Amino acid sequence: MTPLLKSPRGSDRHGFKKTHSWVVFCTLLGCFFVSSGCNKTPPASFRSNMIEATKQRLSQSQEKQVATVLLAMFGTPDNPVVLAETGLDLEKLTLCAGPVRSDIVGRKNGLYREHCAHCHGITGDAMGPTAAFLNPYPRDYRPGVFKFKSTERVEKPTHVDLVRILHNGIAGTSMPSFALLSETQIDALAEYVKYLSIRGETELSLMRAFFELDDDAKGILPETREFLIGEMLLPASEKWLAAKESQIPVPLISEGVDLVESIAKGKALFYGDKANCVKCHGVTGLGDGQANDYDDWNKPIVEIDKELRGTRERIKVTATASMSPEELAEHVALQDWVTKLSQVLDGDSLKPRTVVPRNLRHGVYRGGRRPLDLYYRIYAGINGAPMPAAKGAVSPEDIWHIVNYVRSLPYEFDGELGADRPLIARERF
Amino acid sequence: MVRPVHFICISAIVLGLAGGCGPSRISSPSADDAAAQQLRVMLGSTAASGNSSGDLTSAESTGTGWGSLSGRFVFTGTPPETKALVIDKDTEICSKDGRKSLDRSLLVDSSTKGLANVVLFVRKVSRVKEPSETVAASAAVFDQKWCEFLSPVFSAKVGQAVDVRNSDPIGHNTNISGSSFNQLIPAGQGTTYTPDRETGMPSMVICNIHPWMKAYVLFRKDGYAAISGTDGSFRIQNLPAEELLEFQVWHERSTGPNGSLGLEKPELKWTKKGRFQIKLVPDEEKNLGDIEVPAGVLGG
Ligand code: HEC
Ligand code: HEC
Repeated sequence: MTPLLKSPRGSDRHGFKKTHSWVVFCTLLGCFFVSSGCNKTPPASFRSNMIEATKQRLSQSQEKQVATVLLAMFGTPDNPVVLAETGLDLEKLTLCAGPVRSDIVGRKNGLYREHCAHCHGITGDAMGPTAAFLNPYPRDYRPGVFKFKSTERVEKPTHVDLVRILHNGIAGTSMPSFALLSETQIDALAEYVKYLSIRGETELSLMRAFFELDDDAKGILPETREFLIGEMLLPASEKWLAAKESQIPVPLISEGVDLVESIAKGKALFYGDKANCVKCHGVTGLGDGQANDYDDWNKPIVEIDKELRGTRERIKVTATASMSPEELAEHVALQDWVTKLSQVLDGDSLKPRTVVPRNLRHGVYRGGRRPLDLYYRIYAGINGAPMPAAKGAVSPEDIWHIVNYVRSLPYEFDGELGADRPLIARERF
Repeated sequence: MVRPVHFICISAIVLGLAGGCGPSRISSPSADDAAAQQLRVMLGSTAASGNSSGDLTSAESTGTGWGSLSGRFVFTGTPPETKALVIDKDTEICSKDGRKSLDRSLLVDSSTKGLANVVLFVRKVSRVKEPSETVAASAAVFDQKWCEFLSPVFSAKVGQAVDVRNSDPIGHNTNISGSSFNQLIPAGQGTTYTPDRETGMPSMVICNIHPWMKAYVLFRKDGYAAISGTDGSFRIQNLPAEELLEFQVWHERSTGPNGSLGLEKPELKWTKKGRFQIKLVPDEEKNLGDIEVPAGVLGG
């Protein structure tokens, strides 16, 4: 048979040339299967929050109503639209939306899909193709919860916070720095994160609203501005606009504080029962105190999985023989729900991972390593993670002492841990 | 002889076949494009639409006067053995003098069969009796001692200052799920939490330092909520009379959606969502008597 292609370098070593055509043929055959396996690629679409929809036991028509309302409010990944109420800037979103391409003036478009979607997913659901291999998993923006910010715990990050995260990345995780992008591009991407987050939070509210409906509403959400915008959209979007006003107050550390003294005070607090850091970060500071907990993204999966297994058990032991027709119908519906839920958990969630308190001997801080960043983390805790806020319990001055102690931890070596310190660290990771 | 190249060929084919379609995911519902277009126009216009309000539940004010509702939840199954929780931390305080912390998710009174910690609240009212009369005179205190939240289920009004206490000589953190409130509470101290919105259903409260600690909180604007006592009894006072009141019922172990307690009570039109309706006449003291809760509606 004639070779399909001639090897450019004409390499004949190890009989490669003879079989070359075979390789090409088979590869092409493989490619054919790959491309013919499924239908033509449909335009990109947002994926519904199937976990919440199933948890709320929504019917297909209810799922469709949510998808329709969201399409009206937010458009598609290729064509975003925004309502004035959100305060979002459509021009910035357009720069990020759609497939990667250049526009008429040669400006790069489709930034989100180019840089973020393979981890954070087109929908911002943290289900991109890369996500399953990462620890921690990428952020799912849809609950509207963010960890590393300069605002009070319950509030959203400011635009500047998001820009800083994009600029610096998140040290110690796979979230990369995008410092090589232009300011305009980073600014636009931060806006797009807000867009996906507001969309996701609105979706959650809509899905949860069905349960709150009166029975005479017949399972249909009212499609009025008062309800859709006033009750569903605004609670999610307003907080973004208010973030600037909820920044954490940071008093400067008093003049003339001796660093050694401050570190000693911080240490006493760290191990004391006022600040309680030791309970989670461990007596060694290695983060081995309370290490089997989940964060607010993984925990719901753990819980719904428990519910799934419980329901399966109940179904198994239910005797169907003596059931009335209605009871039987209900039983079948429950079985269908169990089947759907297990499918959804398989396809729309990743295996829950525990959140480990930070090993404070590494000196790697995800939310930034400026003393100010550590002040924010300790004052407000880490939203979405078990790490609680020290605000109110510990005075600002004492928080500064703890910051100083935490910063000294990677270098502290007073023999207490002995020669086995590196070993413990190695055993843990 | 299998040469590497064969291996490559076969792999390519196998890969092609296998990789053709991604893992099967349940399909995401598709939107109704035409309806979305119309809706978008309506949402974008500043004119107010229709006359319905943004509230999902409506209560029409019709009358005057006040009444009360009481009753008692009774468990009709075999009460399960109450299990002791595994306490593996700070035992010198948490298990002081051999004290055991029990799993409180299903508490049945052995003599009266009363089911404790059933939550009952009104979904919507048109009017509220003066706050001073509905809120208990004492401030709302949410305390923890022996590494246990003293109230397994707790309710307060939106806007009411809740004194979150720690009566233990060790530190705790109080983490209300879904609220972003997660605060360190030093030994012997407390902090104030003022709920700023309603919880649709009770929210879980945990302490991350002592993961066995668990409670539920309910925050309602009108304060019309009750939690059944050890004998299963409950009572809500000063309810507006002469309007149809819809009550929502919840229990931690309930298998209904979002923990709603669905019962077979046609006379009260009790629904799968754990709701029933009642209209009181002024000064009525309605007693629902014993409300039976079969074991089947409470899961593990
Ligand atoms: C290689 C995977 C990866 C890529 C690519 C990636 N991220 Fe992330 N991202 C992560 C991970 C992992 C986290 C979570 C880190 C954590 O929880 O500590 C994260 C977290 C975030 C957060 C949350 C920060 C917070 O305070 O909670 C934002 C916002 C974010 N990423 C935005 C982006 C944007 C925008 C892009 C594209 C420009 C992007 N990411 C690209 C992996 C990625
Ligand atoms: C209930 C457990 C708990 C307590 C108590 C706790 N932490 Fe943490 N801490 C965590 C967890 C979990 C993380 C990791 C969160 C994450 O990765 O999202 C963390 C992360 C951190 C970080 C890393 C921040 C960063 O940017 O990477 C610092 C610093 C820290 N904690 C300091 C403290 C100090 C100081 C105290 C006492 C005032 C304290 N923690 C109390 C659980 C706790």
